[in-house]
Amino acid sequence: MAQRTAVIGVGQTYHRSKREDVSIAGLVREAAQRALEDAQMDWADIDAVVIGKAPDMFEGVVMPELYLAPALGAVGKPMIRVHTAGSVGGSTALVAAHLVASGTHERVLTVAFEKQSDSDAMWALSIPQPFSAPLLAGAGGYFAPIIRAYMRRSGAPDHIGIMVAVKDRKQALKNPYAHLHIEDISFEMVRDSIMLWDPVRYLETCPSSDGAAAMVLASEAVADRSSSGTPPAWIHGMAMRSEPTMFAGRDQVNPKAGQECAADVYRQAGITEPRREIDVAEVYVPFSWYEPMWLENLGFCAEGDGWKLTDAGATALDGGDIPWNCSGGVLSTNPIGASGMLRFLEAAMQVRGQAGEHQVETVRRSLGQAYGGGSQFFAMWVLGADKP
Amino acid sequence: MTRFAESTITFPYKRSLGPVVGAFMTALTDKRILGIRNGKDILVPPMEWDPTTGAELAPDFVEVGPVGTVESWTWVPTPSVQHPLQHAFAFALIRLDGATTPLLHAVDGGSSERMVEGLRVAPRWRGTRVGRIDDIICFVMGEVPETDGGDTGAAQEPVQRMDYHASITYRNPVPAATDRAVVASRNRRLLGLRCPRCERVYAGGKGYCPVDAVELGPECEVDLPTVGTITNFAIVTPVSYPGQTETEPFVRAFVLLDGTDVVIGYSPVIELPADEVRVGQRVAAVWASPAEEHDQEGGMGGAWGSLLGWMPNGEPDIDDPDLVNRIF
Repeated sequence: MAQRTAVIGVGQTYHRSKREDVSIAGLVREAAQRALEDAQMDWADIDAVVIGKAPDMFEGVVMPELYLAPALGAVGKPMIRVHTAGSVGGSTALVAAHLVASGTHERVLTVAFEKQSDSDAMWALSIPQPFSAPLLAGAGGYFAPIIRAYMRRSGAPDHIGIMVAVKDRKQALKNPYAHLHIEDISFEMVRDSIMLWDPVRYLETCPSSDGAAAMVLASEAVADRSSSGTPPAWIHGMAMRSEPTMFAGRDQVNPKAGQECAADVYRQAGITEPRREIDVAEVYVPFSWYEPMWLENLGFCAEGDGWKLTDAGATALDGGDIPWNCSGGVLSTNPIGASGMLRFLEAAMQVRGQAGEHQVETVRRSLGQAYGGGSQFFAMWVLGADKP
Repeated sequence: MTRFAESTITFPYKRSLGPVVGAFMTALTDKRILGIRNGKDILVPPMEWDPTTGAELAPDFVEVGPVGTVESWTWVPTPSVQHPLQHAFAFALIRLDGATTPLLHAVDGGSSERMVEGLRVAPRWRGTRVGRIDDIICFVMGEVPETDGGDTGAAQEPVQRMDYHASITYRNPVPAATDRAVVASRNRRLLGLRCPRCERVYAGGKGYCPVDAVELGPECEVDLPTVGTITNFAIVTPVSYPGQTETEPFVRAFVLLDGTDVVIGYSPVIELPADEVRVGQRVAAVWASPAEEHDQEGGMGGAWGSLLGWMPNGEPDIDDPDLVNRIF
């Protein structure tokens, strides 16, 4: 039986398109130090460090964990690097959680980052691969046909994607850490933005951000003794799944790995009706259409009905019964390697009552989800205010 | 004999340095070398944190050197183009006078016989300095710093970012299945591989089934039709970045081959403007003429050999609501 594990500290940077004032180490330390302060701990209190980021190509520093080990106080301690493309922030948090749940360590610091301004994500995601046709299209070109398939098979009207883009940007205005603060965001502004990857408009896509996220995960004994004054967020379930990128007959719109990952997490947490039993969710939505798609994949509704929830305002912080991405989500902040961890971290903040203006009232249970690669890596956790 | 295809990846990175390394680089443009105080130690190059505890260090900079002592070294007899010097040299750990930690840099030692621990060395500065570690070309023997060429002086503004032009060349072994697919494409044949376990057919020369993880050899080859239907597409409005060769919106289409379960993804289209591409459109393969010698090596980007892309063949569209789901 796994040991009870909780989040007892969270920290993140103020995410921006360019953090030219800091080094990579400075960026990462900013988030880590805030997490330590939140947990009322110092570097010396930490037993192990687990770090994640997206491919090294984004900054051109190969294996940055080598130089970041002393920067994160990991000298003389175990340090692990996790690598699962866009889902890496989520997988990193889970590897850290496993170190506690297995009884190996009592206090684990987990950190994820990206400093996109050092290079160009469009380039880094379009480099020539051996024996493959060049895509030259970045992530959007990859996901656009999948979104078109969802729109046609579900019969979703065109305005759903625009609604999500507006909703998440409005919610970002309540999150001081969010990268995008578009004060005058409107339906018309999104609708009239250029069609970047037909059917995906410019404002229906995520930005490129510099940023980092960090959490302190602790054993039950440590969490019970914590004097920080902020309650712990207990892990009620956690899982990862993967599947191949391409094979004949693969359902890209509703990947099986995602469905099975969700089923596993819900089983651990004893959840049978996610829409009713989860109070708030932070889900990896880098293109607005992924909200209705993941509503279905994560079992919040029947297949084909995701867009109806969005259309009815069910996912809005303001008045919705299952607010999604109250922080503004990936659509408002995207330091790629950290984006998954931000979902996990925001889920913890909601349970701990730390989310400030974007806090949902009375959160007993929250969901954090990340996906990566060609929708092939999935990582999720369910957190609760009560011990599992 | 395994054949290799070469590919080079390059990118002009811009790295932000932060307040501590930024101060170090700014000082280099003024031919000064800075360390940072950490208790009794002077760390060179300066760090933002105590390397043992992770604690934040105050920006208490101390000028060191520029002359120092070699503590250890290794000889580089045949440098590559990416090495700091193009003739034989030593990489050395140099403890600059006043520092408590050594700096790793190149020493132009002439021959390995002259390299000894305890050797005194001084920097050879670049005439034009921009705030990079190679503003010091290398260290030379003796106590006297040198400057190479005319000295253009210190930077006018603090150095905050560093240009780093990365380039790496890979030699990729070409799978035999890829070679066979490319050779077949010269004869306008589209080769497929049928998995003996799951019966799925894969186009091109990947040479394995990703579902069953089995190798697909020549015995699995089948000829695929060269006519099909567009199931889905992306119209990409290109944004500018290094290596992007497209300037106008372009189409990448998914083509379901007739009578098969095979979709060829992200394919170029020919004589089909972006605003005319449709789901259900009928298309035929377009091949390079033998004279064009299109990517004869079957190397980077040449997965399909002489298959250039797909062009409307004039047949009426197919109306099937399930087509759009066929992305793979």
